[in-house]
Amino acid sequence: MNSGQIVFLILAFIAVMGALGVVGFGDKPVWSALCLVLNIFVLAFIYFTMGAQFIGITQIMVYAGAIMVLFLFVIMILKLGSREKEFKSNSWVAILGIAFSVVIVAAIGKWCLTPFMENTPLVFRNDPKLFGPPQTIGMEMFSRYVWPFEIASILLTIGIVGSILLAKRRI
Amino acid sequence: MLNQVSLLAQAPPADVPLGWYLYLSVAMFCIGAVGVLVRRNPVVLFMCIELMLNAVNLSFLAFARYLPGLPVTLAVEDAATASTGGQIMVIFVMAVAAAEVAVGLGIIMAIFRQKNEVDVDDMSTLRG
Amino acid sequence: MKPEFLPIWLVVFLPICGAIIQGLLGKMLLQSLGPKWGKRIMGTIAVLPVAIAFAIALNLTFLLAKETDRLAIIKVFDWIHFQSLSIPFELRVDTLSMTMTLIITGIGSLIHIFATGYMADEKDYTRFFTYLNLFVACMLVLVLGNNLGLLFIGWEGVGVCSYLLIGFWYKDTANSKAANKAFIVNRIGDFGLTLGMFYLVYLIAGNREVLGITDTRWLSYDNILPHAAEFFKQFPTETTIISLLLFVGAMGKSAQFPLYIWLPDAMAGPTPVSALIHAATMVTSGVVLMNRMSPIVSQSALAMSVIAITGAVTALLGAAIAFGQTDIKKVLAFSTVSQLGYMFIGCGVGAFSGGLFHVITHAFFKALLFLGAGSVIYAMAHNQDMRNYGNLNKWIKITFALMVCGFIGIAGVPYIGAGAFSKESILMAAVNDHATLGVFGSTLTWGALAGWIGFLVAAMTAFYMTRMMLLTFFSGPERWLTIDPVHAHAGHDDHEHEHHHAHTHHGEDKHAFFYTEAEMADIDAKTEHEHHHDLDSHHKPKEVPMVMWLPLIPLALGSLGFLGFWLENNELLHNWLYPVHGEAHEEVAHAISHQMGLIISFVVSLGGIIGAFLVYFKKLPESEGWNFSKWNPIRRGALVQFGVDAVLADGSVRTGDIFGRAMKWFDENIIDGIVRGVGNVAGLLGGLLKQPQTGKVRSYAFLMLMGAAGMIAYIAYIINSRGGGN
Repeated sequence: MNSGQIVFLILAFIAVMGALGVVGFGDKPVWSALCLVLNIFVLAFIYFTMGAQFIGITQIMVYAGAIMVLFLFVIMILKLGSREKEFKSNSWVAILGIAFSVVIVAAIGKWCLTPFMENTPLVFRNDPKLFGPPQTIGMEMFSRYVWPFEIASILLTIGIVGSILLAKRRI
Repeated sequence: MLNQVSLLAQAPPADVPLGWYLYLSVAMFCIGAVGVLVRRNPVVLFMCIELMLNAVNLSFLAFARYLPGLPVTLAVEDAATASTGGQIMVIFVMAVAAAEVAVGLGIIMAIFRQKNEVDVDDMSTLRG
Repeated sequence: MKPEFLPIWLVVFLPICGAIIQGLLGKMLLQSLGPKWGKRIMGTIAVLPVAIAFAIALNLTFLLAKETDRLAIIKVFDWIHFQSLSIPFELRVDTLSMTMTLIITGIGSLIHIFATGYMADEKDYTRFFTYLNLFVACMLVLVLGNNLGLLFIGWEGVGVCSYLLIGFWYKDTANSKAANKAFIVNRIGDFGLTLGMFYLVYLIAGNREVLGITDTRWLSYDNILPHAAEFFKQFPTETTIISLLLFVGAMGKSAQFPLYIWLPDAMAGPTPVSALIHAATMVTSGVVLMNRMSPIVSQSALAMSVIAITGAVTALLGAAIAFGQTDIKKVLAFSTVSQLGYMFIGCGVGAFSGGLFHVITHAFFKALLFLGAGSVIYAMAHNQDMRNYGNLNKWIKITFALMVCGFIGIAGVPYIGAGAFSKESILMAAVNDHATLGVFGSTLTWGALAGWIGFLVAAMTAFYMTRMMLLTFFSGPERWLTIDPVHAHAGHDDHEHEHHHAHTHHGEDKHAFFYTEAEMADIDAKTEHEHHHDLDSHHKPKEVPMVMWLPLIPLALGSLGFLGFWLENNELLHNWLYPVHGEAHEEVAHAISHQMGLIISFVVSLGGIIGAFLVYFKKLPESEGWNFSKWNPIRRGALVQFGVDAVLADGSVRTGDIFGRAMKWFDENIIDGIVRGVGNVAGLLGGLLKQPQTGKVRSYAFLMLMGAAGMIAYIAYIINSRGGGN
């Protein structure tokens, strides 16, 4: 058990706790949102340990910095807080779902992941350090994946237009 | 292929095995799925969906990192290209997630104006 | 095909022609010829076909007697003809059919002549004779047909004509009901006949080589009958079943117990109809059938026993009921039932020729009695109740003389009446019978039992016939002079004659059945038409016109002993008919000898006559008068046929009702239930399938998740089983 693994385990544990918090806080949506923020941050740290620095920063900036802020805004504007117990009518679904998830995790783990559990070597083209930095990603993005890039920007424009329309009082 | 094999011989083993990342990803995904089923508040429902997307991001990245070393034969001439492709995918997932959240929350706000209370179960007009 | 017998088709064709001409043109001709000549000419047209047919038949009979094999088959035209089955319209000239043809056409023509006088007031004169000619044609097809198909056509045809004629005055619903009853009860018999015929044809078709049938005419008698006896000996059960089924058919037509109930009601028709159809011809078709099928029927002792004992029961029941009847036609009707029983006793014990002998003599005297009764009714202003008669021998002498001849015929005094010869031949054969089974295993056979019952019935016959004669023609002063008008109406027959006040009690004349007052006055001015009126104390019976009593004279001559003597002498009839039956006659031990039988007959008939004389000669006894409470309870039971009719009619109606209700329940609940059930299933299925469409996002998400999880699990399993990781 080396240091990398220990770090990963701690981070993974916090991530799972955050995820459970998102699901579990029934009457406090703000707490759910904050747990999600925690989760996102932890995932970013995991990305850093993997060597994907650009992705990790992007994660913090976009997810935690934009999306979660949006969520929190909406929660606070709408003053959402359930007046009654949210899980009242859902108990059997919850239990079923939990059981199901456990089964899925166990099944997938056993069947698919066993070959991946031993150590896999890291191989890169020239430089192991070329996995993470923005240059590599930029080179690929604007040569190979330029079309999806443009379409993604159109998508974002559509999203903007749509949300403005939806937010207006009167169409 | 010759390149790959010789590189393989030189490469050091990674710290964390691929499987651990994937386990985490699956666990987060399942927790998010359960959350989608169980929560009645639509905003929190959205957040669980985000959770699932995050899990998928993690798994993409894990594969991207470990792909050249996997004992699989791929129809890709350059394994490194594929691994970069995985990171590109993560970026796009994030972009789409952002757009989706914007629109989705707009919808929720529009509904809130009508009903003053949001509960996913009440929105069942398309009942068959 | 013997060409000299070809005219036989004319015998059938002429009555058909007559029926068609009168049916299509009758009314028109009648009106255009005027009141004086119209009826005479139409009457002649009615009688002529039957009379000419009789002449032809007589000629052919003489020709037949000269032939050695006494058989000729004339094919008139091809009727049904396809690959393996051929049923041509072929007529069979043999002894049995010619005998019956002579009776039908001979007695038929005499009755036609009588009817021209009896129905003279009728507006629907031509309709009556259309039906009557049609009847004669159908009956001739029945007896002359050479195959089962033609027999069946004739059988059904006479049933239809009987229905038409009984319900001739259809405006009165009671007559229509009687016609319906006759037809329906007949159909029950026909059911048995059809089944029997089908079974017979089935057996024949399967065994053509054994029976020696070379051509495709399977149903023809000349193909079936020659070898039928040995063939059917091998199939005892089938023969019994066929014989019993055919006997059911005969029961329906020939009014055996329990299917006799239609015959008394059939008296609602005009008297000539009763005479021709229900005395001389149609009711004897059962006996004709038995005679035709005798090689087959005589092979089954069980069937023979059933026939014999049914005949005996019928004879006894008919005679018993006749004691309680006050309507003269009803007495004769039950007498017919009783005599038909005799014929079947004859058939049941193997004396088929004896049965036919009784058919011949019965045709003579019963027709005579019916027509004579018709004359009496005509003379008594259409009143049929015997309690209104009395001392008529002074008033209508000719009718009286003729009726006495008929009475002698039926009462069966040996050597004097013709009926005695035939009855005696049957009863002697019966009591000496060994062909039927033993009564519950004893040495007394069913046939012998039937014979002894027959002797008892002979006594009863003599008694009730004498009663009828005495009440009508003797027994005290004229009873109608002191008549109570209510009683006058009681026996009134439903004759829709045209006279002025008849309109009121026949209801509104919606269909212009009757001449109107103006027309009536017109006719009266043109003819010497006598006014009819109800029987009242001023009535003076007048003798019937000559056209009505003249035809009865040959019948009277036939009823007296000459005919019987001639036929019985040296077993003339037996030998004449024998080529039909073709069996050797062995001498078996007789239980009683010929002389003994003669003595018993004498005692029995004279006893009945004298007994009746003692009771009825002076007056109508109180125990049979208008006051029903003074009647003997048994006699009162006899009046209503001991309940047989009520039980059968009500019972069958109620059974039909129950059956109908059951079918209705079945149809509504089960069949409709199935149909509705199909619809319900569709509804249920739809209801089931719409469960997932909840409209809730989360449930959709759940289902998607389940589906996705399933797919993933499957793929994971595949990966794992293929070695994983590759």
